[in-house]
Parts: sequence; structure tokens; C-alpha cells
Amino acid sequence: MRDESAIPLVFKLIAGFALLVLLLPLAIVVLAGLNAGDYLTFPPQGLSLRWVKAFLSSPIFLSAYLYSFLLALAATAISTVIGTLAALYLARSGSRAASFLRGYFMLPIVLPGVVLGLSLYVFFTTTDIGLARTFTGLLICHVLVTSPFVIATVTASLVGFDVSLEEAARSLGASPWTAFRKVTLRIIAPGISAGCIFAFIVSFGQFETTLFLSVPNHEPLPMAMYISLRYKFEPTAAAAGIFAIALVVLSTVISSRLVSLRRVFRA
Amino acid sequence: MAIAETQAVPRIRARGSITEALGGFRLWWLVVPAFVLFLCFFVAPAASLFAIAFDKSVPGVVTFAGNFTLDNFVRIFTRPLYYLAILRSIGIAAVVAACALVIGYPLAFVIAKTEHPGRNTFLMILVLSAMQLDTVIRMYGLMVLMGDNGLINGALMSIGLIEKPLPLMYNTFGVVVGLVQVTLPFMVLSLIGIIKAIHPSLEEAARSLGATRAQAFWRVVLPLSMPGILAGSLLVFALSISSYVVPALMGGWKVMVLPIHIYQQIAETGRWQFGAAVAVVLFVTSLFAVFIYHKAAVRTAGGRT
Repeated sequence: MRDESAIPLVFKLIAGFALLVLLLPLAIVVLAGLNAGDYLTFPPQGLSLRWVKAFLSSPIFLSAYLYSFLLALAATAISTVIGTLAALYLARSGSRAASFLRGYFMLPIVLPGVVLGLSLYVFFTTTDIGLARTFTGLLICHVLVTSPFVIATVTASLVGFDVSLEEAARSLGASPWTAFRKVTLRIIAPGISAGCIFAFIVSFGQFETTLFLSVPNHEPLPMAMYISLRYKFEPTAAAAGIFAIALVVLSTVISSRLVSLRRVFRA
Repeated sequence: MAIAETQAVPRIRARGSITEALGGFRLWWLVVPAFVLFLCFFVAPAASLFAIAFDKSVPGVVTFAGNFTLDNFVRIFTRPLYYLAILRSIGIAAVVAACALVIGYPLAFVIAKTEHPGRNTFLMILVLSAMQLDTVIRMYGLMVLMGDNGLINGALMSIGLIEKPLPLMYNTFGVVVGLVQVTLPFMVLSLIGIIKAIHPSLEEAARSLGATRAQAFWRVVLPLSMPGILAGSLLVFALSISSYVVPALMGGWKVMVLPIHIYQQIAETGRWQFGAAVAVVLFVTSLFAVFIYHKAAVRTAGGRT
């Protein structure tokens, strides 16, 4: 009760306003996608599934959604594997190289998205290695952007890890690989899963890096929505947004479960 | 057989973890895939972008010719179109950081002080969901809200408060609102941990020495949250100055900031070398801002102790 009274009323009011700024656009997207009229106007014209149906039968938005989903799955799989391996090295090597590499792996987040996408496009075009505007080129870009999130999350889950647990398994006769698989991997699994979810969501929402790299006629969802917003402004895009919002809320709820699971492990 | 096994046990050294078993040299292999990927597809491309920025500008040609010149940079700093874009980018990012701080601090404070676990998790899920959702989708919501025929103007006109729609979008105001919406969660998340770490007894001590609640906040809690305030503002500033999609949608290409110039130079006029030079300026500007903030942070911390 002390903590509740410690919050001044002004703060509560501004915090409410901040939540409104954060959530109102999401609510509007949902309303626009479920709206019965051609546009969401004031006052709204009632609810219908018209635009949701339009999304489910739209060749542009549905295929963009599936394309983004596939791209995010591939990027997540690759960055989870190489990111977890790198995090194991970073957490266990006390060498000076490890602290250098920790910064090195965070660089793609520091470089502005437009600049990163542009530099990859220039590189693919000048070296002529056949990656410019291909799925593989786009995938490489997404792996670069998502790996730092996996590395950071898994490294964090390894920080409090007690190596003597693995040693105990070894002293009971387990091989190094078995000890790693049955002890270490089980304990850091929530961290890896959370990193996985982060990577998926980051890849699914990538727009700026994709600007120069997207494959002609195969736009990821953010790109398809951007084109619609700039030139046509269809409510179908809002219906596609509803499905993206559902995906993000679901994954955030799951990852918050994983984080609290991790707390249970530490307690 | 049984004898051979018992003899083998001491040689395994029971104290070995997998990293020890792999040995110092072989542990390296874990980091090799990520290291090589970053080297080939991050370091090399970034270096090649920086290299062509110093190449002679030839429209439509992207290959590196090796004709070293500073012309691209001279052009950026002598033409008002470009140097004003730099100033505009910095100004907008600074205003966004200030706005995000003013409305983000109270939200972070409320979340940090809410100890009820269910309510706390709920608030965190709201902030995290908003942060992780694709920017373009969030801008769709804002555009429906703030357009000339949008919900705000529609509502105000239908109750007769205004006759003409207010210019909420396709101007600097719209860009600032959009960027605040996008960057606010980063500000809130940078602040929660710091505010949580300030022990409540410090505030109570100030109160017991006769400070009012406001005084205790301004003179104790706020100065102690300075590291979070600086880190959050820095992050918001860096994210805002490098955003392309928000100025493109909320500014309708009328608010010319650096990322829009970069895209325009390359996609519309095919001036790769010049576009690369603007990209280098954008990167250096955001690094410079980080540097200044860092200096300020060190000075603030130094002044306290």
C-alpha cells in the first residue's frame, strides 16, 4: 500500500496518457480492420468481417504475410543456432577477445537500418555474387539484425549459470556432450526460447533494412503495407495488421512466461 | 574390462565441463560461424559503402572506381538543401527525445512502483507488445487518427469546434508524434530498472528531514535516475535520427530528413556515391550525438560524487 500511495496523481495521469499514445494506434488498426465502411471515419459505421475476408482472399496481403512468416522462421532458425553458439563462447571465455566480440556483435543494431540495407545492396551489386534482391540476400540481412538479440538474451541467461552443475553431471559419468545437453541446455532453454521469439518478431517487423533488398513481386508484409499506405490506403492492410498484432501479443505473453520461468530457476 | 574402466575414470578428470573438454582452442569454433557471417556481410559491406562515398560521383554507376574525392561531402556541407536537412534531423530527434522523456518517465515510474505481480506483468506486456509491433502497422493507426479526414478532425468538425481540418499530419508535427509513438517503449524500458534500483528509504529520509513530496522527488529521486534518463534519451535520439519510415509516412516526403535524402538520391536519381556520402554523414552524426551524450553523462555522474 505504501507503493501505491508513493505515486503522485500527476504521474498516474501522464502515465495514462503515455499508455494511450502507445496503444491507441493499435486499437485504431483493429477498429479499421473490423469496420463496415470503406474507411474508418467519425463516427464509425459498425462492425463487419468484410476486410478480414478481403485480407484472407487478397493475393497481395496474404502472400506478403506468409512470405514474412517464412522469412522470419528461416532467420530465427539460423540466428538462434549461431547466436547461441556465440553466446556460449562469450559467456565462458574470459579472454580479451570475448569483450571485443561482445561489442562487435552489437554493431548491426547501432548502424541505422537504411544505411545497413543500403550497404548490403551496394555490396551485393558491386561484388556481383548473385544476392542482390534475392531471398537469400534478404535472409542474410535479417540474420544480421536478429542475431544480436539472440546473443544478448542467451548471454544474459548464461551469466548466472553455475558451471559446477555441469561438472557434477560429468563426475557422475556423463560425457561432456550429454552433460551439456541434459543440464546446461535445459537450464538456459527459457533464455534461448525468449531470444528465438525476439528474433522472430524483429524479423517480422523489419522495414528499413528491407527497403533496398526486397525481392520484386515478393514483398514482406511491412513493405506491402507501406506501399498501400503511401498510394492506396486500403482497409485490407488494417485487417492484415490485426493478424500481425495477434501474433505479437501472443508471442509477448509467451516470452513473459519464459522470463518468469527463468526467475523460478534462479530462486 | 571392468579393470580397464576403473582405470579410465581418473583420466577423464571428473571436473570437466563441456568448455573445458573442448579445450581453449576448440572453444573458438563456437564463435566462428557468427564471426565470419558478420565479417562477410556486415563489416565488408559497411566498408565498401564508406569507400564509395569517397569515390567520384557518376550517376547510375555503382561500381567502385577508386577515384578518391571529397566532392560528395563538400556538396553536402555547402548546399542548404543538405546541411539544413542535417540540422532538421538533429532538431527533430532532440524534440522527440524530450517529449518521450516527459511522458515516458511517469509511465516508467508507475511500472517500477507497481509491486502487484499481475498488474506489473500486465503493464509490461502492454509496453513490450507496443514496442515489438511493426512500425508500419502503428503508423497506419496514427494516419487514420490524424489525417485530414481522420478521426480527430472528423470528431472536432462534427461537434462544430473547428471548420477546417487541423494540419496534424504531413508536417514536422506529425513526424514528431509518430517518432514519439515508436520510441516511447525504449525510453520506458531504459528507465524502469534505474527507478526500481532507487531505494525507497532515500526518499523517506528526505521526507523525514522536512522535504515535501515534490522536493524529495526533484532533489533525490530525479537526480538518481539520471543514468537512465541519459541512456533512454540517447537511444531515442539515435532511433529517431535514423528512421526512414516515420518521416516518409507521417511527413509525406515533405519533411526532408537525412534518411529520406539517402533513399531519394539512390532510388530516384541513381547517385550512389552521393547517397553513400549522406549515409556516412547520418552515421557520423548519430555517433557524434552518442559521444556528446556520453560526455554529458560522465559530467553528471562526476558532479554527483
